[in-house]
Amino acid sequence: MIPGKNILYIEDDREIGEWVSEDLKERGYSVTWLTSGERAVEEAASCNLVILDVMLPGLDGFTVGQRIKKQYSGLPVLMLSARTSIDDKLQGLQFADDYLTKPFHPDELAARAEVLLRRNGAPSAEPLELRHLLVYEKENIIKNRESGEEIMLTGKQFHIFQYLLRHLGQIMTKEQIYEAVWGEPYLDGDKTLMVHIRHLREKLERDPAVPEIIETIRGIGYRVRV
Amino acid sequence: MRRPGGPPFKKFKFRNSLLSRYLGIIGFALVFIPILIPVSFLASWGVSRVLFPADVEEKTEIVRSYGSGLKLENAWHNEALSLGGKTPEEINVRLRALKQDYPDAVIFWVDGDGLTRLQLPERASIPSKWRPEDAITYMKQAVNSDPFTTVAFIGGKEQAAGQGFMVFELPRKHLNQSTVTREGDARFYGFFMFLMFAFFILLSYLFFRDIRKRLLRLESGMTRTGPNGLPVRIPMGRPDEIGRLELAFNHMVDELDDSRRREREEEELRKSLISNLSHDLRTPLTVLGGQLYSFHKEPLSDQGRQSLALMETKINDLSGLIDHLLSYNLLASGRYALNLESRDVLRVVRVSAAAWYPLWEKAGIEADINLPETPLHWRIDEQGFRRVLDNLFQNLVRHAGSGGYVGISVEQRHGRTALVIADRGPGLGAASPAKGAGLGLQIVDLLLREMGLVRETESYAEGGTRVFIYPAV
Repeated sequence: MIPGKNILYIEDDREIGEWVSEDLKERGYSVTWLTSGERAVEEAASCNLVILDVMLPGLDGFTVGQRIKKQYSGLPVLMLSARTSIDDKLQGLQFADDYLTKPFHPDELAARAEVLLRRNGAPSAEPLELRHLLVYEKENIIKNRESGEEIMLTGKQFHIFQYLLRHLGQIMTKEQIYEAVWGEPYLDGDKTLMVHIRHLREKLERDPAVPEIIETIRGIGYRVRV
Repeated sequence: MRRPGGPPFKKFKFRNSLLSRYLGIIGFALVFIPILIPVSFLASWGVSRVLFPADVEEKTEIVRSYGSGLKLENAWHNEALSLGGKTPEEINVRLRALKQDYPDAVIFWVDGDGLTRLQLPERASIPSKWRPEDAITYMKQAVNSDPFTTVAFIGGKEQAAGQGFMVFELPRKHLNQSTVTREGDARFYGFFMFLMFAFFILLSYLFFRDIRKRLLRLESGMTRTGPNGLPVRIPMGRPDEIGRLELAFNHMVDELDDSRRREREEEELRKSLISNLSHDLRTPLTVLGGQLYSFHKEPLSDQGRQSLALMETKINDLSGLIDHLLSYNLLASGRYALNLESRDVLRVVRVSAAAWYPLWEKAGIEADINLPETPLHWRIDEQGFRRVLDNLFQNLVRHAGSGGYVGISVEQRHGRTALVIADRGPGLGAASPAKGAGLGLQIVDLLLREMGLVRETESYAEGGTRVFIYPAV
């Protein structure tokens, strides 16, 4: 058991199951592999992420997923499907946190798993290195590696940065960030978020005119990359 | 005419029909009109007896009747004439004899000197000595009053003969009466006739009201829809014409239900067939992918690595093709239900572009996204529209990646605001290394059509393609 990296993997196909669980173990995760959904809910108690196949013998993946979500609403569930995406997306994504169609590349699966663990899991004790910054997510402390100074953020600035860190490597649109941080619908042309990002950059970036930490993806939104 | 396997219509019985019931009411009315009149009369008489018993009893008390007033008056005058010249004693004897004949009458006579002689019976109101005023007063009172009074001069027909006059008084109830009492028996006759007719009218009214009520109930039952969007069965009433209509309607509902269920079953079968097919095709593909991936850990020659990469690409293409094929099958059969809602399209585009951006970066494609701040609301199905964008972006990466450019913007086209996706690839005419059957675009067109949108593609000779998407109306 590796704290924060336990994955419950439910897959009935032995060949795929063996290969995927081996690959995930090599990447440093602790994997519990079940071939049916019967004991899934009990096993889910000690896990940080569930990777679930849609087509299972007996209880199907949707039912198992919904049961897990009902019991542990904060536990992220990634659905794997060998069915037509158009069919599954209607039923499946309502409760699942992410969705991947077979065949998939193991890199893709690992990347998605990492995003989900980061988004929903407990913050890791290890500090996150971002260019010249060291982010202690557990303690909510941001330090400048070069000067060793702690960077103090206001409440909203901190929430914005935390939201982007939780979706590390993903581009988030203005609307998504605003609605997640402020908790109310984004109004068109609202400059509030831009103003906050500008102030945030003044504190975080080495040169706010050439931002390295918070990237602007023109026309889409913002991204923080490792 | 009944087709085999039809509803279990029972043999229609005439006595159950509305027609027979209506004929029953009419026949009842016709038969009863002749009976009605005597029955009304009898009822009227009966009620009269019950309501006014005193009236009737009084009439039965009359045991003596002395004929009409006129007859009595004539008889009295004849009597007076015959007594002319008789002695007072003789007159007394005759009057006493008359009193025997008319025991209820008061008889007296007054002599020429105005002295009251014989009174049968004695009465205080009669003066013993008559003055002229007394005679006039008496006459005045007697005219047209009860008792019936007649006065005759003894021995004279119309004028006094000096012998005085004799008086006969009889209570009028002893006179012959005309049949006034008979009218009392018939006083309720009209009322009972009216009552009987009102009863028939009420019966007819109730009959038609019942029909009307059942027809209205049938109508509301037919227009009511159940949870499955089909009309619901209606409860059966009497087995007459309307009852048969209800039965036929219920049969129709059952048939409809049945065909809907069959359709749903077929739909489910088709869906599960596609799902299973997809599963059966993709599972080996996944295993194959996994095995190929494990080769990465082996020491390989350059050529080995190249063919490995090619195989991985082909597996990906094949997977995409399977998805397109099965999706197209679902869409073309109209089995994919779109949930159209007014949505900000630009927002959906930004989220989709955010998901594709890393792939574009990896493929060296520069993204030029220039969308306005103001929202663009179209009635779309969000999942469906995401699918459209996914297919278009996927096409772009596969066939126009060499252009190294993706532009997303908004433009006016044919007077409507259009979403534009532009690339700098080789254009439509050029052969692409990953050219497929174009299923991806067919799915795009199917989905767009369902959402009331149009796709137009402009390809330029110098390279580059622009895809316009805008509302059809």
